[in-house]
Order: sequence, then structure tokens, then C-alpha cells
Amino acid sequence: MSAAKDNTSSGVITRELVVGNKVGIHARPAAMFVKIASRYSCDIFLEKDGEKINGKSIMGLLMLAAGPGSKLTLEATGKDAAQATAEIEDLFHRKFDEE
Amino acid sequence: MPRPNITVEQFYTDHSAKLDLKLLGGAIGLKHIIREPTVNRPGLALAGHTKYFARHRLQVMGHAEVTFLKALPREERVKRYELIFGYRLPCIVFCRDLAPDRECLRIAERKNIPVFQSSLITMKFINLATLALEQLFAPRGSEMGSMVDIHGVGVLIRGDSGIGKSESILALIERGYSLVADDMTRVTLVDGREVVGTSSDLTRNHMEIRGIGIVNVAAMFGAKSIRSEKRIDLIVTLKAWDEVKDVDRLGMEEEHQEILGIRIPHMTIPVRPGRDLARLIEVAALHAKLRRSGLNPARELNERLMAQMAAAPRGL
Repeated sequence: MSAAKDNTSSGVITRELVVGNKVGIHARPAAMFVKIASRYSCDIFLEKDGEKINGKSIMGLLMLAAGPGSKLTLEATGKDAAQATAEIEDLFHRKFDEE
Repeated sequence: MPRPNITVEQFYTDHSAKLDLKLLGGAIGLKHIIREPTVNRPGLALAGHTKYFARHRLQVMGHAEVTFLKALPREERVKRYELIFGYRLPCIVFCRDLAPDRECLRIAERKNIPVFQSSLITMKFINLATLALEQLFAPRGSEMGSMVDIHGVGVLIRGDSGIGKSESILALIERGYSLVADDMTRVTLVDGREVVGTSSDLTRNHMEIRGIGIVNVAAMFGAKSIRSEKRIDLIVTLKAWDEVKDVDRLGMEEEHQEILGIRIPHMTIPVRPGRDLARLIEVAALHAKLRRSGLNPARELNERLMAQMAAAPRGL
């Protein structure tokens, strides 16, 4: 579901993520994502079709309108980037606890 | 919540001005407890029907009763007075400035039943007295927190001491809003459906600011900076940033807190240096106002988003 591409020299962790739930990233999953992202001090960005938003911004996430099956690129930079990435990946695997 | 014991004296002292009450006799009975928050016209009881007599209520005498009594011979009248004053009536009120006769006063005095006179016409008196009694009997309490009226939205502001409550209230007053109560808000349940906040009579218009002391808000900021009572529409809790574990990022669901059994919308605002608390509370109040009228911005935006995602081809 995600392709690992760790570029440890520049400290950036990149992941390809696919939206797996039926509805896509609507308000509730967006809030879950932002809550996780906000707990970490690293910078978290999310990109879809060339549009890059701050992963700690709920408005940004909603703006992406990431429907089911859409592909996102996660980019985390900072000292706790690895944990943050792991937790976000898990959230996508769990399909945001939805169908 | 236990119902407060309302005495005739309390009714008299709180409402004598509004109801234009004068005490004519039976002062010892002022300590009588009014057991039912409403009034009764004792016409039927005076006519002899006491099988069902609302004796726990305030008894109101109008033209009908007085004219009926006047038509009776003296000894018959005395009998009727003995009969109804034999019950422990809380008190009797003669409306329209009608004067009770000597027998009435004498027997009432002996039975320790307070007799009042009011200039109001009977129906007007009954209306006002019922409202006054309802107010006296309403469940009440005190809530920790200050209260401000923001554009007609009554906001109860809670938070640990030192979090910045007073500063934000001062800033709200400077913006033209009115202080209802500082630090401690008296609450009353009105009509069983809304909670009205007010301050204690003693501390009204005043607030305490650490480092300065007690200030008179009305004297400092003018009459418009004070409001004596306001319905509570929103509760805002100010909380230290680190203590707020689950900040609501959407505000899609409404959270509530209960006061006197009534659910009131509640929001938690995380506090940290540099946040303009007054501004945030102001926006919270306006937000609550819009929500009350049925507008839920988060839900609306989400619906638009879901529609857009559903319309887009899969994987895009």
C-alpha cells in the first residue's frame, strides 16, 4: 500500500499512500490525520496531484479532496519523523477505522 | 435539587414594590411557608365549599369575594372567616385597595394569617404574583465562572485561576460587551427551559483584577458595560494548551455541559501566550449564535467535500 523511500541523508522520509476507505478523506479522517500530525514536532506535508499541503492543517487536508483510491505522497522532516510516518501509515492501513 | 422554602416574608420583601403590597395585619404569620407557587381565589371556600380548597396557596380577594361577603349578615361573615382562616393559609391579599372588614382583620390576627392590600386590579395582581412566585420557586444555584453578554449571546467563561479570565473579560468589555458577573455566576432556571445568569446584588458591577484589586466596572466603562441578567447560551472553558488532550479541530459535533439540568453548548479553548483570548471568545459566541440558527459550517463544508469526491472518478 505504501512504498518506502527513506532519504536519511537529508532527513526526509517519503511515503506513497493510497486512500483505502470508501468515502475518501472527509472531515472525520482529516481530523484524525491532523490530530496525529500535530502531536509530532517534525514537519509533515501531504501532496496530491502536485498540490502540497501542511499535514497539520485541517483546511489543507479538506482542500485536497482525496477521494477513494487517490494517491498521496507523505513527506516528513524532523527528529520524530519516523514515528510520525509509522503512525500515519497505520492510519491509512486501518482505512481511518472506516469501511 | 431541594426546593427552597419560600416564606411569606420573602415574597413580601422581594415583591412588595412591584405588587404594591401593604401589610395590614397578622405579621406573626409572615414566617408561613408558601407551599405552592401560585394563587387561589377563595370564593367557593367562602361560600362554604371547602372539600377542595387550595389552602397552600396565596389567597386573593377581589371584587367578587368582597361583594359576596358584604351581602352576608355579620355573624354569618364571622363564621365564614373562622372557617377559612382555620386552615393554615399562607396569607390573604385584598386587591383594588379593597378594605377588609373589622371581623376579617380581627380573626386573621388571632389566627396569625398575614393580610395584605394591593392597589392592583385583581387580574393584574394574579398575573404578576404568579410570575413573582414562579421566580421565587425556580431552581437556582451558583456556577464558577464569569459571565459576559456578547452580541446577545450569554457566555459563561470558566477556567482555572490565573489562566487569563479577567484579562479576556476586560478586553471584551473594552470592545463594548457587557459584564454580567465576575468569577461567580448565580444561575436560575426559568420556565424550566432556560438558565439565566446574574451576579449577586452585593458584587454587581465589580470585578477583581490581580495586581490592581477590586474595580467598579460600571464607573470605569459606563452603564453599557454592565448587564444585570442574561440567559446562558454558551459555556467556554479556557484550558492550558498542554492540558487539552483532544482539541476539536472540526467543531462538527456540539458538546454540552449541564446547568440545573439544562444542556448548554460548551467549547474548550486552549490557552497559550500570544493567543488573543477575548477575540477567540467573541468568535466562539458568534459561532454559537449561528449554530443556534441552524448553521453548521463544518458539516456543510464536509457535505460539499463528499459530493465532490463522489463525483470524481476513482483514484483521482
